[in-house]
Amino acid sequence: MKLPLSNIFLPNRPVDKTMTLGIVAFWVAIALLLWIASPFASLPGPNEVRHALADLWMNQGMAPELFTTLRLILHALALTVVISLVLSYATVMPFFRPLVEGVAKLRFLGITGLVIPFTLITGGGYELKVYLLTFGMTTYFVTAMAQVVVEIPRENFDHMRALGAGEPRILWEVVILGTLDKALEVMRQNLAMGWTMITMVEGISRAEGGLGAMILNQEKHFKLPEVYAILVLILIVGLMLDYSIGLLQRVACPYAIIERMRA
Amino acid sequence: MAENDVLFKVKNLTLRLGGNLILENLSFDVIDRVRPGVVTGQIVALLGPSGVGKTRLLRIMAGLDEADHGDVYDSKDIPLEAGQVGVVFQNYILLRHHTVLGNLVVAGVMNGMKREVARDKAAQLLARFGLGERAGFYPMQLSGGQRQRVAIAQQLVHQKQLLLMDEPFSGLDPAALDDVVKLLVQVRDMDELNTLFIVTHDIRTALKVADTALMLGRDRTPDGKISSGAHIKEKIDMVALGLAYRDDLDTDPKFLELERRIKSEFRDL
Repeated sequence: MKLPLSNIFLPNRPVDKTMTLGIVAFWVAIALLLWIASPFASLPGPNEVRHALADLWMNQGMAPELFTTLRLILHALALTVVISLVLSYATVMPFFRPLVEGVAKLRFLGITGLVIPFTLITGGGYELKVYLLTFGMTTYFVTAMAQVVVEIPRENFDHMRALGAGEPRILWEVVILGTLDKALEVMRQNLAMGWTMITMVEGISRAEGGLGAMILNQEKHFKLPEVYAILVLILIVGLMLDYSIGLLQRVACPYAIIERMRA
Repeated sequence: MAENDVLFKVKNLTLRLGGNLILENLSFDVIDRVRPGVVTGQIVALLGPSGVGKTRLLRIMAGLDEADHGDVYDSKDIPLEAGQVGVVFQNYILLRHHTVLGNLVVAGVMNGMKREVARDKAAQLLARFGLGERAGFYPMQLSGGQRQRVAIAQQLVHQKQLLLMDEPFSGLDPAALDDVVKLLVQVRDMDELNTLFIVTHDIRTALKVADTALMLGRDRTPDGKISSGAHIKEKIDMVALGLAYRDDLDTDPKFLELERRIKSEFRDL
């Protein structure tokens, strides 16, 4: 059945795929138009940014800088995932709950003030950036994931006990596999958070380079097209990383996609 | 096993929660029903109004909760433990990350079956319950009735002769109710020692399907106040009454009278 076009302006009406694509294309066109017609002199036009991006990529070593940044974020993400999941799954044991609660509360600390203690611990450089990013992401990851574990209905544990499962098997099936789709969703959100912190963290120690250091260097010389070109790349890579985790979710947890579609 | 041998027994169960006496000295036996020439298991219905402690009793029988006193024993007087008794919960819980077949295989494997053996047994059960074509589906893709059948099949992968069911008739339309009754009879008759223990407040359906009905209730003082924890107030032998294993109970005056009597007593339990 063909849906009426008027649905796109009415609340809570279904829209089909073509309509959705049309709506997205409309808003992208509007954004581009606003950019082209912008009266702000400080905002370089799309062409300037495109040329700057090409120049940065071809002549100023943007690709290695991107690789440095990706290596940093993925390293920090891997550590975050391991630390956070171990802590979150540990909430099933009362002994560890205060520890997990404490780690989650550390999110109010922020990472700027931790530069000095972490510098003293790590000696600075790459290690410092990994520590800062891992700390920043872990506190949020643990907050969200511990909540997911706490919200597992008691009946799910009883069901497994009635089936004859021992506690390690219950932990594996109900807590770990049973929340895998949610863990990936939390990971997706935390990667986005980590990605937004990356320029700040890379700015703390510029010696190793990275997109954060690159953007600060361009800002210092007030090269606005280059600054915006780096921002565009950060946005595109961020979206690609987000899409990759979404893809992983679809492959590893197809049931979650079916569940979402039926909701 | 011979006719009237005790298959399992509940002895002197007492449970207090937050100072309130929930179950008090609750005892009953489930006996082997034998019909010459027919493989027949048992269906025992536990009837009682909401809040009387039916689900609490089920959880103790399943080994999920402990009573303050008393226990549940098998035919050799050995206390039953969690995992020895199958439980089908009211909302038919399944592992959402496994397919229908996967749910059954996991149940077998965690009880020590080899994966291939569990897979074969699971496929047989699914075919028997009319779910062969749903083997690759995830639980959220099933209807309520299909979920219930999978939840029962999951408990049967590793042979468990006592299967506890919490409110299996809850929220079903008349056609679905008939299907569930047929399914329960099918499970009952899969093995002579299979026993289904159904916790419900659906009096009519319970009486139609059960060979024994247990009335769970509490004593009251003359002014209507509850004076004790719940215990078995009455055990109705449907076989002795000639009201078991029949399809024509809806029109039997004796059945209708029994149903009327139980309904009238229900509010005072």
